[in-house]
Amino acid sequence: MSLALVSLGFLDAFTGAIDFIFNQRESTVAGDEVGGLAQIGDLTVDHLEVSAIALAGSLIVAMPIGVWLGHHGRGELLAVAIGNAGRAVPELALIAFMVAFVGVGLVNVSIALLILGIPPILTNSFVAIRQVDRDAVEAARGMGMSEPEIVARVELPLAVPTLMSGVRTAAIAIVATATIAPLAGVVTLGDLIINRNVYGDDGVLAGGILVAVLALAIELTLAGIQRLLTPRGLRLERAPARA
Amino acid sequence: MDAPAAKGDVGEALSVEFRSATKRYPGSTQPAIDELSVDVPAGEICVFVGPSGSGKTTAMRMVNRMVEITGGDILVGERSVRDRGPAELRRETGYVIQQIGLFPHRTIADNIAIVPKLLGWERERIDARVAELLRVIGLDEEIARRFPAQLSGGQQQRAGVARALAANPGVMLMDEPFGAVDPINRERLQNEFLRLQAELRKTILFVTHDIDEAIKMGDRIAILREGGRLAQYASPAELLMAPADGFVEDFVGADRALKRLSLMRVADISLWEAPLAFAGQATAEVRAKLDGAEVPHALLVDGERRPLGWLSEGDLEQPTVPQRPHTSPDPVLELDDVMRDALSDLLQAETRYAPVVDARRTIAGVLSVEIISEFLTSDEALVEEHPAAERPLAETEEAG
Amino acid sequence: MSAPLASLLPLAQGDDFIQERTGTGCVQENGFFCAEWAFDNFDRYVTPLVEHLVLVSASVVAGLAIALGLAVMSHRRRWLVPPLTGLTGVLYTIPSLAFFIVLLPITGFGRTTAIIALTAYTLQIIYRNIVAGLDNVPAASKDAGRGMGMTDRQLLWRVELPLALPEIIAGLRIATVSTVAIATLAVFAGAGGLGDPLYADLTFRTNVLLAGGLAILMAIAFDALLVVAGRVASPWRKVRPV
Repeated sequence: MSLALVSLGFLDAFTGAIDFIFNQRESTVAGDEVGGLAQIGDLTVDHLEVSAIALAGSLIVAMPIGVWLGHHGRGELLAVAIGNAGRAVPELALIAFMVAFVGVGLVNVSIALLILGIPPILTNSFVAIRQVDRDAVEAARGMGMSEPEIVARVELPLAVPTLMSGVRTAAIAIVATATIAPLAGVVTLGDLIINRNVYGDDGVLAGGILVAVLALAIELTLAGIQRLLTPRGLRLERAPARA
Repeated sequence: MDAPAAKGDVGEALSVEFRSATKRYPGSTQPAIDELSVDVPAGEICVFVGPSGSGKTTAMRMVNRMVEITGGDILVGERSVRDRGPAELRRETGYVIQQIGLFPHRTIADNIAIVPKLLGWERERIDARVAELLRVIGLDEEIARRFPAQLSGGQQQRAGVARALAANPGVMLMDEPFGAVDPINRERLQNEFLRLQAELRKTILFVTHDIDEAIKMGDRIAILREGGRLAQYASPAELLMAPADGFVEDFVGADRALKRLSLMRVADISLWEAPLAFAGQATAEVRAKLDGAEVPHALLVDGERRPLGWLSEGDLEQPTVPQRPHTSPDPVLELDDVMRDALSDLLQAETRYAPVVDARRTIAGVLSVEIISEFLTSDEALVEEHPAAERPLAETEEAG
Repeated sequence: MSAPLASLLPLAQGDDFIQERTGTGCVQENGFFCAEWAFDNFDRYVTPLVEHLVLVSASVVAGLAIALGLAVMSHRRRWLVPPLTGLTGVLYTIPSLAFFIVLLPITGFGRTTAIIALTAYTLQIIYRNIVAGLDNVPAASKDAGRGMGMTDRQLLWRVELPLALPEIIAGLRIATVSTVAIATLAVFAGAGGLGDPLYADLTFRTNVLLAGGLAILMAIAFDALLVVAGRVASPWRKVRPV
């Protein structure tokens, strides 16, 4: 296949996908209309909704534990092991597990995504707090700060870069997995990909493009939030560790 | 080491000449090295010494082009260092740095073998060379298979030197090579190195901030002042006896006369003749000898001319020389003694004169504090008679 | 529950599984894990397993090669590091499924598409780790190496990279484990792998456990393998000062 033909084919498909995003057309299956900004918008909102719920949940569950463990210097093996284990879980298997063993629906999917988000947040919270300068903590303790105050005023601000990078990793994983949520009955942007019969080839490509763009947008947004939250004295050049 | 120059074997020691060598870094007004001209004959140790900021390390690194000169030239064995590519030049130059820089991921044997491998020696030749070097440098054979992390600091230092010697380079560059080691081991390493140099006779450029080390190790010393300018380039003797200016004088230290003495042996000085007396000899003869002698006391010796002690005036009023001396001969010094130690013995014993004996313990002459101080002010003191490799070595506490 | 099933993309073995479900007791009731069925039908998982292995191996090897090339390039030209980190970061951020889909019009269904996307995903972590590993090489070793007459290239391959190996292995471990997990989605690119049987019947519990379990086991096995390889390749790490 010559390069020219390939690129032509791609351009053709690409324009088809763009068209799908903006204009409604008739579905090949049911007589319904598919495509168009309105539907895209709905799907995107649904996608973000389930992702947000899951991310919030995993933050609430994992961050306090990670921070606590890191502050007290305990459970390093556990934190790292969970991080490694989380990486090994295939998204599809997780969703499949939900479908086969637990059930479908928004609640179950949110739980699955939440589980996916816990390892990076837990591990990164732990590492982030651990690597805060011990001397600064000692000094704070010596000044009479209570433990919670130390965590809030000294450790957390200094831990922001690594913490946030864990949040970013979790967010991306969650958004990515939300793409296959339709398999478990929760309709998201991934529906465009999974239900090809309904949306057609243009729809599938549009779905891929949209998910990619969404993920990048979220990553940029979180990066911006990270920069805002990072104390000025800490704006370091080096990339924070993604555990 | 005596093998004929095979492929990649450098062999003979080369001379090093700095000709108005200058190093100017872009953006700074002062040069780091300013028109340095130093001529190091082949087979000698030249020490670059100076305060921090004097550019001594920079000067050394210009020889193997780790720092490129911006003006002037440097010749190694009559060839400009710019004649060949830097990598090629460096393979013929031994390089030892303070932090040693052994490769942690290779065994000691592999570390030592690096330059020979780069030069393409055959496997057997490399193995033989490694074994030889380990022996010469004083490391156990089994250390060859260990990794640097398993060696002590002193062992690592030696391995670093062995590595630099591996391809038999004509010039060795050493940057504070013994700096990272504790003082006792440092002295040991220095002594061993000097013994090694006596055997190998390499041309060595040695950088240190320690003037005592410079005096001990150097055949010639180049003192650099801030801004990389040469303050004085001379033998240790000359440096100590005739410092060029106030800076050098300060740098060398107020005890430079004593430093000089620790570089000499008793044998290096002209001793006074001892008026000898044998038991049973007519005292008239002895008194005749004493007339106009430099040493106003007679020394009783045995048949082998070994000193037994000093005779008093009372002894000499007898018709013949008594069997026993009046006072003990101590301290009895040896020709091989380090001059500084000899002076110390003299002062401690509170005598003015001490007999000096040779290896068979026969009398060779008499030493006094006067002789020493006269020597120090004479022109003779400017002449360096011992190359560094043969300098008297201070006694260390451990044997051998 | 039937809605998602009804509109499944037609893929390799899907139909067989569903037919089997009308069979024996355990399977019919969808018990937790039907050992007998698993035993009898294990050969169905072999091809996907092998496909999965191939996908992961090819992607990680390609990722290593590319990341190594990028790292060598940016080793002497430090200004390249931020843009390359950013570029590999973008590739990492794009969800793999989306990447597969977007590649389909260009490279079509099949292994190539999957490998391209999987490789792209590994680049960031491997590249970052190689760069970090190279940065951590002791300066004294580099100075000594250069002073002995090693060219830059010799220094890189004989000293710097070997010393950076532990960190590179760490990056490879993370990349490999992640790739094993993500390769289950390769079924959407038409490349098979363990996602194939998984996707064919998401409701069949035994199937889910088998396919998912095999994937997780593979990840563990690769991780252990890399740990051992790392130890073998860097014997100097184990030694304690004598």
